Amino acid sequence: MLTINKKTENGKAVLALEGRLDTVTAPEFDSAVRAVLPGITELCLDCKKLEYISSAGLRVLLTAQKKMNTQGKMKVCNVNETVMEIFEVTGFSDILTIE
Amino acid sequence: MTDDNQKSVTVILSGRIDSGNASETEQNINKQLSGYNSDFTVVFDASNLVYISSAGLRVILRIKKAYPDLKIIGVSSEVYEILEMTGFTEIIDVEKAYRVVSVEGCEVIGEGFNGKVYRIDKDNVVKTYKNADALAEIQHERKVAKLALILGVPTAISYDVVKVGDSYGSVFELLNSRSFSKILANEPDKYDWCVDEYVKMLKKIHSIIVPDGELPSIKEKTLRSVRRMKDTLPDGLGDKLVAMVEDIPESNHMIHGDFHTKNIVLAGDEVLVIDMDTLSVGHPIFDLIHMYNAYVGFSEYDPKIVYDFQGYNTKISHKFWHDSLLKYLGTKDENRYKEVDDKVRCLSYAGLIDWGTRHPDPDPQKSEATIELWKTRLIEILQKINTLDFDISADEQTNANEIKIDAITDNLEKVIDFVNSRLEAVDCLPKHQMQLDIAVEEIFVNIAHYAYSPDVGKAGVKVEVSDDPVTVTITFTDRGVPYDPLKKNDPDVSLSADEREIGGLGIFLTKKMIDDISYEYKDGKNILTLKKALN
Repeated sequence: MLTINKKTENGKAVLALEGRLDTVTAPEFDSAVRAVLPGITELCLDCKKLEYISSAGLRVLLTAQKKMNTQGKMKVCNVNETVMEIFEVTGFSDILTIE
Repeated sequence: MTDDNQKSVTVILSGRIDSGNASETEQNINKQLSGYNSDFTVVFDASNLVYISSAGLRVILRIKKAYPDLKIIGVSSEVYEILEMTGFTEIIDVEKAYRVVSVEGCEVIGEGFNGKVYRIDKDNVVKTYKNADALAEIQHERKVAKLALILGVPTAISYDVVKVGDSYGSVFELLNSRSFSKILANEPDKYDWCVDEYVKMLKKIHSIIVPDGELPSIKEKTLRSVRRMKDTLPDGLGDKLVAMVEDIPESNHMIHGDFHTKNIVLAGDEVLVIDMDTLSVGHPIFDLIHMYNAYVGFSEYDPKIVYDFQGYNTKISHKFWHDSLLKYLGTKDENRYKEVDDKVRCLSYAGLIDWGTRHPDPDPQKSEATIELWKTRLIEILQKINTLDFDISADEQTNANEIKIDAITDNLEKVIDFVNSRLEAVDCLPKHQMQLDIAVEEIFVNIAHYAYSPDVGKAGVKVEVSDDPVTVTITFTDRGVPYDPLKKNDPDVSLSADEREIGGLGIFLTKKMIDDISYEYKDGKNILTLKKALN
């Protein structure tokens, strides 16, 4: 189960993720990201309530990061310890801007 | 009328019995019964009884006092209603008269060895029985069909027993029905749908566990047949065959026993299975044998037989057997098909030889040539196989530590829940639990995406926990395309976002989450083992 809360204003979008970002929920997240991308210069992913991430979720993050590199910046915030560990072992801690 | 052997005496009741003639009738009956003591069973034949009032019923009650063993047979629906309303059916043994149905000129919609099925009107069919003991057979089929329905098999239950000529029949309601044989013969675009629904129904039946003693074991029946024909085989092969049948594991799972496309019908938009009289319990190979017989075995010498029986040709019947067996096994691996097909054919030929010997074709030359062909093929198979058992993938949970489940991403949650349920007994840190979840997800999803694509097959997930230090071992098996995921190079995690490729992370992440991972390809199976210590 994944819940995505969306907020956009002045070219900045915040997606707050709650639950599990896995093979089953990644497509939902992917379409939410795609829907919000056009016209924004800043994307913030709030991971405060994100409990779990697998490679399917990482793929969407990487796609979003690539896209945002061409049109602005992307931040990932409030990452908990377990998700942070996944970012670290996969080198994502270096390619994502984690706050 | 008397029958001294059974010590019963029959009295015929006819016309109307009411207050006007009750005492006269009573005197008459008593006259007929004089000389018979109370040990005799009094049978009132009510075939010609039109009406009975309470005065008449009192007569019967008085006679029952003198003759406790009393029954009324051949009761019409009208009279039965009176007896039921007054509570007589509870105190006296009452047998209803059978409605008489004529099947003259009716369309024959099915024919088996035991009788024919006629359509008597738009919504009803009657199944007739050739055997002398038809009533017992009808009762048996009604009983097992009811049992099957209660256990979850969509089937039709006969709602009436009728008299058809000298024998009996059971009546079923089958609205707008047509058999899968008819559909396959006339609607080629529905072929894939037929295979899907056919296999779904077969798996449903095989997944049902039957309470002890409710149905006979089909293995016993097969053993009798194999023992009858074993001496026709050379070089001790007969004994080998009997031993192999004896070794087939017992099972309490349901077996239909005659599961071919004539017995699967589409009634409205519902798929039903009919012809339940061969319902039994046993290993799934016993159903596969009868399927093979229907599509290939019977017509192996003379292909016309399948057309006469099913209404479609051997091109369709052979393809249907091949495709439905693969689907049933949840694989597209032709070697796996061959392995099971050989085992099925082995028992099929044995059964056909026994059957063909006991029911020879009127043409002795043809009869002999057919049996010779079956025998040659049986000997060929018997020389190369040593067991008739095979892995049953029909049931999802095979034992407490392992599940076999369709490898589709929709089942991911089930798999993770299963693994976690196995870990409940050990003290597993949330962090370790998540790491295991990730590893399980990556591997299972990998199988779901690639092993059988574009088809669907089974994945096995086995969880074992050992002590000192507490270590979890998770083994994944599938029968899909051989693939060693460990051969893949790890992604370079030092690259920038723009340089990195989107894929290739799953296996890498798995390796990071656990302590040890190994792969082997054995007996047609991909086997991937993960190990993690929980210290």
